[in-house]
Amino acid sequence: MSAGGFTGTGLVKRFSRGAEMVTALAGVDLRVDAGELVALVGPSGSGKSTLLALLCGWETADEGRLAYLGPLAGRPPVSLGWPELALVPQALGLVADLSLADNVLLPARLRGTAAAEQARATSLLTDFRVDHLADRYPHQASLGEQQRVAVARALLLRPAVLLADEPTAHQDRGNADRLLDAVAGAARAGAAVLIATHDELAWARADRVLSMRDGTLTDGPPA
Amino acid sequence: MSRPPLWRLAPWTRAPLLGLRQPAAVIAVLVTSAILACAVASAPLFLSSARSGALQQQLSQRCEEVGRPQTGVDSLLVDEQGRPVDGGDGSTRPEVDARLLQAWADAGLDAEPVLATAAIGSSDASSAGIGVLGPDGEALSQPSTLFQRPAALDHVQVVDRGDGAGVWVPETVAEQDGLSVGDVLSFGDQQAPVVGVYRDLAVANADDRYWCDYRLLFANEASADRAPPAMLLTTDEPTFYRLATAAAGGAVRLQQVPVDASTLSVSGARRLLDTQQRIVDDSGLPPEYDGASPAVAVPNDRLAAVIDRAELIQSGLRGPVVPVAVAGALLALVLVAAAGSFWADRRATEVRLLAARGVGPVPLAGKAALELALPALAGAALGWTASRLLIAGLGPADDLDPAATTAAAWAGVAAFVVGLGAASVVAGLRARSTAERPLGAAARWPSRVPWELLLLAAAAVCWVLLQSREAIVSVGYVAQVNGLLVAFPLLAIAGTAVLLGRGVTALLPRLRRWAGRRSPAVFLAVNRLTAARLATGTLLVAVTLPVAVLGYTATLTASSQTTLDAKVGVQIGAAAAATTVTRIEPTPEVVAAGTYLLRYDGSAAEGAAADSTARGRPDVQVLAVDPTDFAGTAFWDDSFADASLPELMAALQGPEVDGRLPVVAAGLSPGDPGLRLGSAEVPAQVVAEARVLPGRRTADPVVLVAADRLPQIERSAGAARSAELWVREDLSGAVDALARSGAMNIRTLDPAGVQERANFLGITWTFGYLSALAVFVGVIAVGGLLLYLEARSRTRVSGYVMARRLGLTRGAHLRSLGVELAGVAVVGSVLGGVLAAGAVALVYRRLDVDLLRPPTPLLDVPWSALAGSVVVVLVVAGLAALYAQRAADRADPASVLREDA
Repeated sequence: MSAGGFTGTGLVKRFSRGAEMVTALAGVDLRVDAGELVALVGPSGSGKSTLLALLCGWETADEGRLAYLGPLAGRPPVSLGWPELALVPQALGLVADLSLADNVLLPARLRGTAAAEQARATSLLTDFRVDHLADRYPHQASLGEQQRVAVARALLLRPAVLLADEPTAHQDRGNADRLLDAVAGAARAGAAVLIATHDELAWARADRVLSMRDGTLTDGPPA
Repeated sequence: MSRPPLWRLAPWTRAPLLGLRQPAAVIAVLVTSAILACAVASAPLFLSSARSGALQQQLSQRCEEVGRPQTGVDSLLVDEQGRPVDGGDGSTRPEVDARLLQAWADAGLDAEPVLATAAIGSSDASSAGIGVLGPDGEALSQPSTLFQRPAALDHVQVVDRGDGAGVWVPETVAEQDGLSVGDVLSFGDQQAPVVGVYRDLAVANADDRYWCDYRLLFANEASADRAPPAMLLTTDEPTFYRLATAAAGGAVRLQQVPVDASTLSVSGARRLLDTQQRIVDDSGLPPEYDGASPAVAVPNDRLAAVIDRAELIQSGLRGPVVPVAVAGALLALVLVAAAGSFWADRRATEVRLLAARGVGPVPLAGKAALELALPALAGAALGWTASRLLIAGLGPADDLDPAATTAAAWAGVAAFVVGLGAASVVAGLRARSTAERPLGAAARWPSRVPWELLLLAAAAVCWVLLQSREAIVSVGYVAQVNGLLVAFPLLAIAGTAVLLGRGVTALLPRLRRWAGRRSPAVFLAVNRLTAARLATGTLLVAVTLPVAVLGYTATLTASSQTTLDAKVGVQIGAAAAATTVTRIEPTPEVVAAGTYLLRYDGSAAEGAAADSTARGRPDVQVLAVDPTDFAGTAFWDDSFADASLPELMAALQGPEVDGRLPVVAAGLSPGDPGLRLGSAEVPAQVVAEARVLPGRRTADPVVLVAADRLPQIERSAGAARSAELWVREDLSGAVDALARSGAMNIRTLDPAGVQERANFLGITWTFGYLSALAVFVGVIAVGGLLLYLEARSRTRVSGYVMARRLGLTRGAHLRSLGVELAGVAVVGSVLGGVLAAGAVALVYRRLDVDLLRPPTPLLDVPWSALAGSVVVVLVVAGLAALYAQRAADRADPASVLREDA
């Protein structure tokens, strides 16, 4: 794992909704360092998912500057591979035509390292208690099971930066703890981890909490 | 007044508007409904088009007068006592002419008065004639026909001409009887001078359409061994009537309605005949001479025969076309139903919610019907229009009967109703089952039943029935394809294609394990195919079917055309031939013009015929040929014999066998055939055999003998003999050469003429329609492919944007799409090719378009057309891959993943 981290300064993102212009991010400043687990909290529509989309390169900021740190410095987010920047989107983004096991292993397969990562993939499936569903397709699994597979896929290549959008939203307490353990473990191993969450127990596991409301970011949990 | 919000509208108003919010589903239903309507509407339109085409094609091959409704009066010019009728001054029944012309005008049709008159000595116009005396008081060397028609002299080749009223004589008559301009001929008590000499019409004007309908008078084809009467052309009507009355002849005056036969439909022709019949009935003229009236009506009775033949061809087509149309409609109906399922997928969120709240499949189907009614209606209208345009552009003729257009419109309405019903029912069931089906549930039993076995069972029944029936039947000399011959392969191909599709998709899980060790492109492609086995199987069948049907129909069409060409070639002997019964000595010009040979009617010893069971001496056709140049023009196919034609010709030049001439035969056993030409014994020995020999005009055996070794067969032997000149292409040169060598009454044989007599339109059009079906199924396949892509685009795009983040390159994804779609295309093409080959192998030997004429069916595989079809399939697959890639490229990852959420 290469050490990562990122900073954002004055990030602004606006969307047009018909004739109306909506400001999703209104000058966000943040920094997440390698080995740090940061929880991003805030109500729905506050701009959390937009910030994550900006950080992974699916959106570009209208204003402000985003920079990755350490070995990733100077590289635009869209150029970062899965070992550098892994993601658990809220929609999960599992490939519908692949089994759950193949979904987990896909990042390695696309790099030609499937054989080398097979054991870790199996281990993650077991840890997240979806090993018995390995050969099922995503639509044959529950949403919570799919979510655990998405997190397993994100962790497979031990990413330098991990972005997760509501990774425990569909989990019971036990499985949520398992996921948070794994994510925290990734941070301890040196990854910069940012998770958007409503889960207050996740806040407790985080090194820091950032609150977002109406496109602005403040340190600490919401009041 | 502003429109109320959507939710406040009545369901029947709200639903169509809601439906429009799903453009992909709207387009799917519109296109599939159009395909369905096109399938069902095309059948009545095609049958009508074929009927019109058969009518028009027949008329185009005949004299234009055949297509003209007419009235007329055929009257004797003298009564039983030999006294002139109506004064014999050319004013024969003018009031009848005027009345008939007026009757046509009253019917809204302009008739042309045609004084097409022929004064002849008996009712047998072609062989009799009137006696005419020459200047020396002696009868001319042959009987004569007196002919008068406006502008006739503008359609002859003048040899010599004078002035004034009189008659023109043919050049050969002038030469034989020593006639020249100024000589006076006697017709009874009347005389007329020769005022012109013209080149014989059979030689100089054989192809002039002006003379087409009067060819019987000078070509004398019905009695080839007798010279035709001399055709004396009068310069004007009074002269004609004066001479014809003196010769106790008759005259025909006609009122003909010019008709553009190239745009005539059968219903239009029927209306013309009805009008003709009414006018004839009103005229009071008897249909036949009854003694009371010296005149009879002369309606056109040939048009009715042509119409009957056109309807016969149509009825022959109905057998194969209707099942084909039904099959096409059923296929299209499946596609419409799939579109209904697609609608349920597109409206998944809403219908799941409704289903969860207890809404049953029937109300859900009703909702689907309301939402899809407008696109289904538009699609049906579009399909009807498409079928009309397709038939107009590609059908046998563009002139359709109004009843067919109406029937097609009703078919379009039925397609709308049935299609909408099917789409709605499937949409309702699909919506409900999606909502109720538990995660990971096994497929329901109907999807596991191999329903295609029913198709195969039906095919087997057709095959069994076909064993006891003729594959090709000839009704009224019109060849017709037995509907079973069409139904059997279609059912067998469809059933086997589905069965193979099921089998191939069952192997996909194994393929998936194999793909795990391959490149990401192959891995993703195989996994996509495996994940959607039903869609993959459907797509595979959708590719297999058109390839198989097209391969089958194209091969059978090409084979039957090749067989027909071969049969015609065998009958003629070469590409074309000119024949004459005149005993001529072949001039160098004749020899240079083609292959000269003599044909004799002969007989063989009892039992000599290879397949003869009849008692008595079998007839044989003996061709005396020049072995050194016969192969140069003779029609030959290697399947005709185990030896080549040059080898057979060499056998003719071999040594005698026990003093007998070596001959080559088809249909005679080896050995001494006991050959006789008339009463002349010809010692011969069959030294080589062929299954088929060129020049076989009858079902009798054919014997080839070297002309220079054949003894002189005297006229007294009584062997009918004709001289023939076989050519590769230019028949006119052969005719000229024979004419200049002194041949009279030259007849020509070319493929068009032979095929005209043997009417194969029904066969050609049947396979043409089948080919159109294959293209139609191809269109369905493309529609299905687009539906497949569209239905899976959401998961495909979603998976793509995430896979790109995971490290998938654009090139690898495009390759995976190519492998996925081209893989199905290739496998489908291979399966289709195998099925087509199997069906052709089973059927083609039974597809003998003319059992009476050899050879037996030949196989001709149109490789270029088939290769073109496969290329089209691959190109479509490639374009579809590019289309899918483009759709994925345009996706905005953030929005896609937000939508998924």
